[in-house]
Amino acid sequence: MSETRTLLVCCGTGCLANHASEVADALEAAVAAAGVDAVVGVEASDAATVKRTGCNGFCENGPIVKVHPDDISYYKVRPKHAEKIVASLGGEPVKALLYRNDEKQLVTRQLDNPFYASQRKIALRNIGEIDPLVIEDYQERGGYVVLERIIREAVPPETVIQELIDSGLRGRGGAGFPTGIKWKTAAGYARGGGADADGGQLPAFVCCNGDEGDPGAFMDRSILEGDPHGVIEGLAICAYAVGAEQGFLYIRDEYGLALKNVSAALASAEERGFIGDDILGTGRKLHLEIVRGGGAFVCGESTALMQSIEGQLGEPRAKYIRSAQRGLWDYPTVLNNVETLVNVPYILACGGAEYAKLGTARSSGTKVFSLVGKVNRTGLIEVPMGATLRHLIFDIGGGIKNDRAFKAVQTGGPSGGCIPEQYLDLEVDFDGLTEKGAMMGSGGMIVMDDHDCMVEVARYYVGFLAEESCGKCTPCREGLRHMQAILTDITEGRGQPGDIELLERLGHTLQQASLCELGKTAPNPVLSTIKYFRDEYEAHITAGVCPAGVCPELTDFYIDAEACTSCNACKKACPTGAIEGDKERAYVIDMALCISCGSCRAACRFDSVCTRGKARGKAAAGAGTSAEGKVAS
Amino acid sequence: MSETVKLVIDGKPCTCEKGDYLLEVAQRNGIRIPRMCYHEGLSGLGACRVCIVEVVEAGRSRVVTSCIYPVLSEIEVFTQNEKIKELRGMVLTLLARLAPNAEGVAKMAAKTGIELPRLAVKEGGDTCILCGRCVSACEALGSGAIAKVNRGVTKEIATPYGEPSSECIGCGSCAFVCPTDSIASERTEESFTIWGREFEMQRCSVCGMPFTTQAAFAFLQAAQAEWEPGAEQQPPLCEECGKKAVARQIANAGKYL
Ligand SMILES: Cc1cc2nc3c(=O)[nH]c(=O)nc-3n(C[C@H](O)[C@H](O)[C@H](O)COP(=O)(O)O)c2cc1C
Ligand code: SF4
Ligand code: FES
Repeated sequence: MSETRTLLVCCGTGCLANHASEVADALEAAVAAAGVDAVVGVEASDAATVKRTGCNGFCENGPIVKVHPDDISYYKVRPKHAEKIVASLGGEPVKALLYRNDEKQLVTRQLDNPFYASQRKIALRNIGEIDPLVIEDYQERGGYVVLERIIREAVPPETVIQELIDSGLRGRGGAGFPTGIKWKTAAGYARGGGADADGGQLPAFVCCNGDEGDPGAFMDRSILEGDPHGVIEGLAICAYAVGAEQGFLYIRDEYGLALKNVSAALASAEERGFIGDDILGTGRKLHLEIVRGGGAFVCGESTALMQSIEGQLGEPRAKYIRSAQRGLWDYPTVLNNVETLVNVPYILACGGAEYAKLGTARSSGTKVFSLVGKVNRTGLIEVPMGATLRHLIFDIGGGIKNDRAFKAVQTGGPSGGCIPEQYLDLEVDFDGLTEKGAMMGSGGMIVMDDHDCMVEVARYYVGFLAEESCGKCTPCREGLRHMQAILTDITEGRGQPGDIELLERLGHTLQQASLCELGKTAPNPVLSTIKYFRDEYEAHITAGVCPAGVCPELTDFYIDAEACTSCNACKKACPTGAIEGDKERAYVIDMALCISCGSCRAACRFDSVCTRGKARGKAAAGAGTSAEGKVAS
Repeated sequence: MSETVKLVIDGKPCTCEKGDYLLEVAQRNGIRIPRMCYHEGLSGLGACRVCIVEVVEAGRSRVVTSCIYPVLSEIEVFTQNEKIKELRGMVLTLLARLAPNAEGVAKMAAKTGIELPRLAVKEGGDTCILCGRCVSACEALGSGAIAKVNRGVTKEIATPYGEPSSECIGCGSCAFVCPTDSIASERTEESFTIWGREFEMQRCSVCGMPFTTQAAFAFLQAAQAEWEPGAEQQPPLCEECGKKAVARQIANAGKYL
């Protein structure tokens, strides 16, 4: 070894759960044992350094270890591999830990991995590359350069804001409001240039929304954990632009590592004078404070979040006057999402016009998505706006698991919508998704295959929202209760003619008459599935059949003896021991024991477990014959 | 410095001061927008959504909540066109299913002509429509004995942990503002019982009539002492005798003019 090498161990929440910390320890020990100088965080020539980084986004293949500058990526690394990795430094990579691409070839470089190949990392630019607890790491990659420049050169706030307007950046928290315009409005009111102008400077506040309440979403968590200084710099620039001396980072209480890293980063940023009482010796002030989120999905909504910061019950308020005019304690306030803010230093470094070249005409830049569900590769990805759903799901995601058929992709979190196959070539941006009855939301993407029942999907999300609605206003609270009851009826075989129309009518009421965006968007999962999968609803209601073979009350499972290979997987998977069979005797399901949970079908790799409409007494069985048969394919 | 704004409500040209709430503007102009959680004395709750109306501003239409919507610019308002009738009808129907025993709500819902038997009555639903007036009144008073608990479909109004609240002073404001008489209370010559607690009544120092609870009177006195430190403590007076005392003061003051 003649060169300094850095071993970057992914210590995001996902990899930590897979013992990444032990891997890092083992690597440190192996480096020490190999006799190279190995003080963590200190690079000596002819040495190897182990760094613990934020999340690389490919958690299912973690823990991930990257070797720089060779650009080697190892996956599923265990502590026992440490010695081999260290011994290989400077020589041939450890083959067993490399990724195999779709052509089954081994790939060494991260960008040769199809999961990463077409990603464009801006919001995630530093994550996985730096130790979030070491401010120098951030600075080495250009961090705090922009903040320092605008403060030292006293760049006029209007110039900063104009750069952001030119960039076309839209809020990544869901609504897609143009960030520069929001800052400009708040700055105007703060400087007394608003409608109630009396010339005096008002106090203003800046906030970072790190509540991220969508189940399964983890983009903001990863950013807060892996690049806390990026968010802090963005927020500090925002404070400079609008003239705020106080800011808050509202972070979900469950995000332990994010809270820890942000609070450490705040301390070191203050120590360096980037924030605090006398920023870079200019006498300028900025106090940033962490507020722990109330733990409710609705607390991410802007007015509820501000109520919560003020110490009140986190319930949304009417929004006829924008927070940029009257927000926290009735003063001009800018609230931005984590991902929005982490883009800011990058935009100011490269210039608004340059940034605007990325993405689509209406939505510039990139977007981070959490791609999960029935795809071969799941994880956190960042792509330019305008990438097609097909590209995300089939190229980056590697297609549908077990080669099943794609059915829909649910985007935008719990109140997002389901987009069917005919729109796979849709270019994903704020407006494109909304036009199709879904939304960008925070960037959740759940891929579904032909074994997913769309009525059940709608029921699941409505159930979530019924619990998470704040319950203040009638349409949202009561409307969701009834929608939940009707959807449950449909999935359990008690659907009635007219239910679909009633769901649409209730959905319309929620959209129009609810107080906040939660209620206004809550019908999306129902309305979008009715729009694209109405026949599936009808099958449940009129024929009493769940075409996807999911709803237990409507589904019987059986094993197709011809297709069965006696592999025994179904028998092992069955939680009630309802399956009998072995190499000699055909596998059969004892209907008396079967609870229609579908575990056998999920376990079968040969499509031998099939479903048919449930035999419900003679009449029902007779009526159901037309819909019977091998639904699975 | 107030500004006048012109607006048209259901075809009727009106004016108001910038920032006035639409529901109140309409009312002053003889147009009564149906409402339920709105109360003159409490700041905008905007919870029941019965008062929704359609507002057209510069060609753009949206549904707004009139009790909390500040009129800021020239707008045209429709308080009962087909769209609003449908939405308000649905909201009232939802409220009627939530509180099947609330007569007033049932009457308003019946008038909408919407019949949806498929929407089940809430299990255990009685008369409370969860409008939040009671909590708001209690907060406005500065007591905070009751609160909204839980979220979403399980939301309810209760004292902390469902126990009799130590903060409660038995003033009865909550029961007084409740639009559906849902807060049970019992009053006798000697005592007032509410939220599981019994309070002793305070008698008027002049006529001897019980007029509030002793706890509420003490609370008000303490509050007064905080507003005007050093001010003379007033003796307990019922409303009648209080008015008479004020009248006498004014009459006496007149003598020296
Ligand atoms: C129910 C609900 C939940 C929300 N949750 C979040 C959240 O967790 N994080 C977030 O950044 N924005 C959330 N938002 C959006 C915020 O209200 C707000 O629009 C956003 O934080 C503004 O920042 P941006 O302009 O940078 O997107 C939520 C909105 C609603 C209606
Ligand atoms: S729409 Fe739902 S979440 Fe929003 S205020 Fe109404 S009840 Fe609360
Ligand atoms: S009266 Fe306006 S929302 Fe209830």
